[in-house]
Amino acid sequence: MNLRRLLGKERYKTLLKGVWTEHPISSMCLGICSALAVSNKVENAIAMGAGVTFVLIATAVMVSSLRKMIPARGRMITYMVTIASFVIVVDKFLKAYFPVISETMGPYVGLIITNCILMGRAEAFYARNPLGLSLVDAVANGIAYSYTLTGIAVVREVLGFGTLLGMRVMPAGWENWVVLSLAPGAFFLLGLFLWITRTLAGVEPPREG
Amino acid sequence: MKPLLEKARRNRFLKPMEPVFDALEAAVFGSDATTAGGPHCVDGLDIKRYMTVVIAGLTPAVLAAVWAFGVRSLAMIVVSYLFGGLVEVGFAMARKKHIHEGFLVTGLIFPLTLPPTVPLWVVAVGVVVGTLFGKEMFGGTGRNIFNPALVGRLFVTIAFPSIMSTAWQIPGSDAITTATPLGMYKTSQAVTALTDLLVGRATGSMGEVFRVGLIAGGLFVIWTRVSEWRIPLSYLGSVAILSAAGHRFAPARVAPPLFQLFAGGLMLGAFFMATDPVTSPFTKAGKWVFGTMCGLLTVLIRGFSGYVEGVMFSIVIMNGLAPLIDHIVLKATFRPRPRAKAGAPAPAPAHCGSCACGRDGGRGGER
Repeated sequence: MNLRRLLGKERYKTLLKGVWTEHPISSMCLGICSALAVSNKVENAIAMGAGVTFVLIATAVMVSSLRKMIPARGRMITYMVTIASFVIVVDKFLKAYFPVISETMGPYVGLIITNCILMGRAEAFYARNPLGLSLVDAVANGIAYSYTLTGIAVVREVLGFGTLLGMRVMPAGWENWVVLSLAPGAFFLLGLFLWITRTLAGVEPPREG
Repeated sequence: MKPLLEKARRNRFLKPMEPVFDALEAAVFGSDATTAGGPHCVDGLDIKRYMTVVIAGLTPAVLAAVWAFGVRSLAMIVVSYLFGGLVEVGFAMARKKHIHEGFLVTGLIFPLTLPPTVPLWVVAVGVVVGTLFGKEMFGGTGRNIFNPALVGRLFVTIAFPSIMSTAWQIPGSDAITTATPLGMYKTSQAVTALTDLLVGRATGSMGEVFRVGLIAGGLFVIWTRVSEWRIPLSYLGSVAILSAAGHRFAPARVAPPLFQLFAGGLMLGAFFMATDPVTSPFTKAGKWVFGTMCGLLTVLIRGFSGYVEGVMFSIVIMNGLAPLIDHIVLKATFRPRPRAKAGAPAPAPAHCGSCACGRDGGRGGER
């Protein structure tokens, strides 16, 4: 409850929505592609989660503070340029300080640009809400994305490689679950994750009309 | 025992266990439930009857597996029933529904599709994944798109390639070899003798080696009309025809027809898995299409892919297409009648042809 008092009611609600009831992956099915591709190892998942969170926060600051100046017709291009600039920052940062991770993640860092969470949140939230609220939303979505990716990656790395953050955790005779280190295995886990979280959060599937 | 069950049923703390009691009662006492509305059949025809017949049809294969691979195969079946049953009971309890007998067949077929040497924990993983992702995720028995046993088998095949394809026990001995008849054809075009394949002297998955028993059991299930003949016939027929044609033009890749028919899991798949009433089309024309396409895919995968055996993949792929096949068949069968031109007298209704009503279908817009 401390957090609630600290943030104020509306911000707290935004935080809760982003992290749980309107979870970007499980409730809105955004950012699925990168969740499938980068969640094979925990370190990749953490790097990816941090990268996306950073770009989200930066985009939130830029877009929501410029929201009255962005022309309605050119807004997509504006978001794109904003997001792309910060993604390049993340890419260069990883290349400079974590070359190994950057190497294994390959094109997926650059592909944060196309991550639907960023465009979706910019269009749906940052373009029409004040800076403080947008910032909370960005942090919440970043946290949600990161913990989902990391959670899936923990299962995938432990079962698929027998390691956790590169350290051996499984006994010597462990047989790797090859399927989990491949993208199809991520589908199984992501499906389970959606099933469980949607049931717990009470997300109704869209009804056919 | 009945009063005891009643008592347990009324117990407040055992309330979540209700499906278990229901299943126990149905298994021990049978069911005296009758349908509320028509049509009425004076017969205890229910899922349980279907499943019992299928299990009876599989009995020769199971007995042969125990004879050929020892008590270990029994242990695999027990593990499969145990872990799959846990998932099934867990979901029945969570959803407050009855335990379905459908699991009795899944839990038996799944270990029969495995190589006899796999560790027991692989059996457990496979059956849990198969029941969970193949069936419960879609809402339980009768709602699944894919054959649950094959989903489990597919998962362990991709997950543990080294376990699943390198060690094959020679039936009736403890010797291990790396080759199956289909694998030997793929590497050296060696054709295993038909008699070896038929009576179970060649390597293979647990339930597929004794093919005489499989064919007899399959025919028995068809004879009781629990499964029907169109899918096995079109499946086996198309494999025979396509492999005859393929062997003529590409003998290095496509094996001769008789060998293809009796090698690998084709008999088990055609008689017991492709015919699954839930995951195959329900229209007659759809069944022909389904079986033929299964045969085509099997021959293609066996001959031209990196995998040695294609029965499992082809059935699962066609499972996914089954609703589409039905949809197309229904659309083609029940086309809307051509509109009568304004002013012209309506054409005389033609006999409907596709139904057995024996009258002309002049009942207006009912269809």
